Amino acid sequence: MYQSFIGLEIHIQLLTETKIFCGCRSAFGDEPNTNVCPVCMGYPGILPTLNQRAIHLAYLVARALNCTLAETTGFDRKNYFYPDLPKNYQISQFAVPLGTGGYIDVEFHRKRKRVRIHEVHLEEDAGKMIHAGDMSLLDFNRAGTPLLEIVTEPDMEIGEEAETLLQQFRRLVRYLGVCDGNMEEGSMRCDANVSINRRGAGLGSKVEIKNMNSSRFVRKALNHEIARQQEILERGGTVVQETRLWNENRDLTETMRVKESASDYRYFPEPDLPPFSADDHFLAAVEADLVELPAQRRERFVREYALAESQADFLCDEKDLADYYEQAVLQGADPAAAASWLSTDVRKMLNRHATSLFKGPLSVQRFANLLMLLAEGRIHGTIAKQTLEAVFNEDKDPEVIISEKGWEQIADSGELQRYVEEVLAQQPQAVQQINAGDTRPLGFLVGRVMRSTSGRAEPQLVTSLLKQRLGLEIVHVLSFGGAISGTREDDGLIVPGDLRDLKQLMDDELSASVRFEEVQLGRFLSEEITPADWATLIDAVNGRLRKGDASGIVIAHGTDTLAYTAGLLYWFFADATIPIVLTASAVPWEPIAERAQSGSEAVRNLRAAVHRATSNVPGVHVVYGDQDLSPINLKFERFGAQSDSLPGPFRNWNQTAPVYHGRPVIDGPLELDLATLTERLEHAIGSIFVARIYPGMRGDTLIALINGGIRYFILELFDTGTASLRETPFSLRQAFSYGAEHGVRFFCTSQQEGTVDFSEYVTGHELWKEGAIPMGLLTTETVYTKLIAALIASDSGEEVVRRMEDEL
Amino acid sequence: MKSYWKTVLTGGQDLDEYRAAVQDRNRELGAFLEFDPTRCAASTPDDAVVDGSAAAERVAGLPYAVKDNIAVSGFSLTCASRMLDGFRSPYSATAVRRLDAAGARPVGKTNLDEFGMGSATENSALAETHNPWDRSRVAGGSSGGSAVAVAAGMVPFALGSDTGGSIRQPAAFCGVYGLKPTYGAVSRYGLVAYASSLEGIGVLAADVDLTEAVFHIIRAEDEMDHSSIACPRELLDADSSAATDLRIGVLGGELGLDEVVATGYGRTVERLSELGFSVTAVELPTLEYSVPAYYTIAAAEASANLARYNGVRYGLRPDYAENPEELVRGAREQGFGPEVKLRILLGTYVLRSGFQEQYYLRAQKIRTAIRSDLARLFESVDVLCMPVFPVQPFAHGEAGLSPFQQKLADRFTSTANLAGVPALALPVGVERGLPLALQLLAPAFHEHRLFRAARVLEQYAPPATPPDYPPLWVKAGVPG
Repeated sequence: MYQSFIGLEIHIQLLTETKIFCGCRSAFGDEPNTNVCPVCMGYPGILPTLNQRAIHLAYLVARALNCTLAETTGFDRKNYFYPDLPKNYQISQFAVPLGTGGYIDVEFHRKRKRVRIHEVHLEEDAGKMIHAGDMSLLDFNRAGTPLLEIVTEPDMEIGEEAETLLQQFRRLVRYLGVCDGNMEEGSMRCDANVSINRRGAGLGSKVEIKNMNSSRFVRKALNHEIARQQEILERGGTVVQETRLWNENRDLTETMRVKESASDYRYFPEPDLPPFSADDHFLAAVEADLVELPAQRRERFVREYALAESQADFLCDEKDLADYYEQAVLQGADPAAAASWLSTDVRKMLNRHATSLFKGPLSVQRFANLLMLLAEGRIHGTIAKQTLEAVFNEDKDPEVIISEKGWEQIADSGELQRYVEEVLAQQPQAVQQINAGDTRPLGFLVGRVMRSTSGRAEPQLVTSLLKQRLGLEIVHVLSFGGAISGTREDDGLIVPGDLRDLKQLMDDELSASVRFEEVQLGRFLSEEITPADWATLIDAVNGRLRKGDASGIVIAHGTDTLAYTAGLLYWFFADATIPIVLTASAVPWEPIAERAQSGSEAVRNLRAAVHRATSNVPGVHVVYGDQDLSPINLKFERFGAQSDSLPGPFRNWNQTAPVYHGRPVIDGPLELDLATLTERLEHAIGSIFVARIYPGMRGDTLIALINGGIRYFILELFDTGTASLRETPFSLRQAFSYGAEHGVRFFCTSQQEGTVDFSEYVTGHELWKEGAIPMGLLTTETVYTKLIAALIASDSGEEVVRRMEDEL
Repeated sequence: MKSYWKTVLTGGQDLDEYRAAVQDRNRELGAFLEFDPTRCAASTPDDAVVDGSAAAERVAGLPYAVKDNIAVSGFSLTCASRMLDGFRSPYSATAVRRLDAAGARPVGKTNLDEFGMGSATENSALAETHNPWDRSRVAGGSSGGSAVAVAAGMVPFALGSDTGGSIRQPAAFCGVYGLKPTYGAVSRYGLVAYASSLEGIGVLAADVDLTEAVFHIIRAEDEMDHSSIACPRELLDADSSAATDLRIGVLGGELGLDEVVATGYGRTVERLSELGFSVTAVELPTLEYSVPAYYTIAAAEASANLARYNGVRYGLRPDYAENPEELVRGAREQGFGPEVKLRILLGTYVLRSGFQEQYYLRAQKIRTAIRSDLARLFESVDVLCMPVFPVQPFAHGEAGLSPFQQKLADRFTSTANLAGVPALALPVGVERGLPLALQLLAPAFHEHRLFRAARVLEQYAPPATPPDYPPLWVKAGVPG
């Protein structure tokens, strides 16, 4: 079993007006050799003078990285010849770096890992040499730019960790305002050293990798290099200590120079600069510039504003956005609404208008006002979106817009009641029809009221006023296959069927107040569910939730796939304000006359489901017999009906308190039409594979699947996180590294009831190292459906992972 | 304009006369690498900077020479090296700017040992310099050109640089005053670096007053040189008038001087008591370590300081190179003389990782020991007196001292550089047609003690001028 060790050397250019040792402008992208003077060109007789801003920013970073700050720090000369280095020595720090012994906490798959910082030191950047044909051209604009080097201990093991550290470090320096962290332009650069060895044998021979100008390349280069070294050791070879270059066109590392020819830098103290003493006054100024750092801020957002981790991630990625958000909340915006609007509607508008939050017309004030108008009920949701659009188009305050356009909601229910009465008086036929038991004209009446108020009424309020006035309670019953709606043929086969005459099945008491609306979603058996069927169901539920006329929704389902559909509906509609109740039966539907009396399981469960649907307990429920199960971690454990001696076929795993309601993965309203939703579901499901690990399973089986287009695996492991990783054909390791190279993600669940936690077993640790993501207490079905939702909601693989790692 | 020296530069005709006279002498002596006195015509002191001080009044209107390793805007800055032959400085050293402000004007750049590495100005790649007392002998070095320019009456004073004796030893060889100030008292900005922690800009002049006046003008903390230090306020205007109430410690024991120098040294020491100084004999146990420590540190720093000359941005560049590495190698091969190459190699050697303990760090320990040795001495004496050099000016070429003997002979001068204290070389007479000299050392920022003692000795033995070269300058009397 091998262990890998990764350390990083990160360089950042400090954002100072002038260079570190002279008064030249420090800027990127100017005409070559325009920001130069005798000092930074290394003319004879010149001396360096230390830029006070540079040393201030340097201490600030060291402080943010929890380093011990040197009371007195000094500069040294690092001697090497290179044409782009004007003095042919670099003024750097060697004997006493300004910061030592710090750390950065890297959050890797929602687990915190502490990476130690060996040292932080300040130095000057070199110029740039460009080879053009038979010429070598030099630009000294960059020479003398203040450069801060951060050296980590070899505490990382895989490329993904290094990538995450770089991303977090980039965010940190941007928060501090010391560097823009642009790896492509070179204001942030990273070299890595990596070694591998038999576990427990300490560091191996170190290979340094250079030329990685994005955090993605750092990950790829490191993982490639670890694989290369491992292969060498497996063949019985020795890894040569050398410097290698990452070749981004060929996706591999190549030898640059071997150790023998490496330089001796002949460090000695810089006689031209006296030691720098960080006195109390200086340190106080550094402390004053220490802003709340991204990791702390994200944690606080989750805690203080009850946001999902992925929402907090989104908001805290840039300090400006996080500041904007907090100001909006401070000015009265609802924290949850503000987060959701910023990540959906506002983001859309910014993209459409190709502007930024800080340059565009949506000031914090306007944004907060808009949300407050919504919260106070002065406008309703649809109008709020129109108002947002108008702010972008017309650059006016929301207040002004709604008053100019007459969009203010009719909030006075007395006034609204008058419109309702008016419409009812005008439409006696519709009223009659409803009184006769047909609920269909309700929507028509809502539309009429909306029209008479020019859209200024909130549709759901109109609906509830109408329902109240007409004495209506509506439950939608959707038939979605299964024995509960099927018919047993004479030969014993169950054929797809539909629900009829539900009213007959219900208690008289219930049926008096409740109107049913039956929706047939296709005749099929639940074991035959396709992505298109799921799309139809989601679309139907979504439509009914939007219509807002029902007290609840019941879905009659088959037992075999119920656990999946329940999960899926949860990840889409966990924040529903009415109950969505799934139910099923192990015993098929019987002829109508008998079933009403027989009290068969199908009838009992259906009745219980309808009761639950009218109970005002919002969220997604699974009702079976006397059980009200959670859609999360629902397991179909056994066959057969519930009886006095037998529990039902379903049980919740890993659950102390059942979860029905919460934060869906699909945040904000679902705005996809049926065709698009179908396509997205098909595409998502087509890229997922659920694999149960079994003895003898071969890694190359998974590789074949990857080559077949699978990008997301759900691996059902043994116990709390074990699988074969020994160097045999049955090892999954190769599949992991192959997958990592192809952007494949591995989410891990267990075959048993219990929590998947990689901190326990040695192989669990190895899985972690290979980049697999433990899904904690979630079951395969729940993870699978969450993944579908996450894929539909996300723009990138990183976002998918973030959403998957959100807490319930 | 009041001036301590009567200036001949009152009109165009005098300027031409002056130019011609200097050029005549320079043909014989090789003091200047470049001479252009036209700037003298337009000398207006900057009142704001000079503030009407006595020192400024003394130097206003005076022409002066600058060693060619100190930057003067528009003049050459060759360091007497092929590497920088033809290089013109785009800026001026802080010391030069301060003299400009005081109304003094640089008229030319003087010869030196290449990058200041030598004790005879024989390591110049660009010119030969001869001693005005005997042209078959060397002028000393490395500030040989500056010393000759002053001694041969071509300018009233000159700027030089002193890394291990480079001002004091040529001053002694040519019979003029040579001050190496406290380390950090004068900005090094504009001094081409050889050994940064040891060297500084200093003054060579024909008498004590002018030496002191120039020093007062160039002395200042400089934001362009972070190693520069302001003179402590209480020492800024310390009394420097002639006085014998000083305790002088005279270095005794076996000093390894040649006979003439030893006799002269003994005679002067006797005279010190006669003049009324309180004289005690002292010993400096660390003296024998100063030369190895000095050369180790100087070479180490030189190896880095001279790395910038690679033919890329300025200076000598080979006509053709296959690649950048070859260009750099070619420039350094062709551009540097043998002594410079030797010291770069030596410096690279002592700085190798794994060998620093043995050489560079050991030298730094010796340096610390020398400092405390001197500090201990200065507890009981105000001024330390010792020889400048063990021999009088020696002959050119192989008849003179070998390079190795020259290095060993730096033992009296390098001590002050290692300790960072001020030292003044002063003429004390002429023997066998050649000047004799003495060196005085004081604690840091106590230059005034050097001037006090020197003024007493100046009265006892007024400085002589070489017979062939009476000064082109006449003392006009001490200003009011």
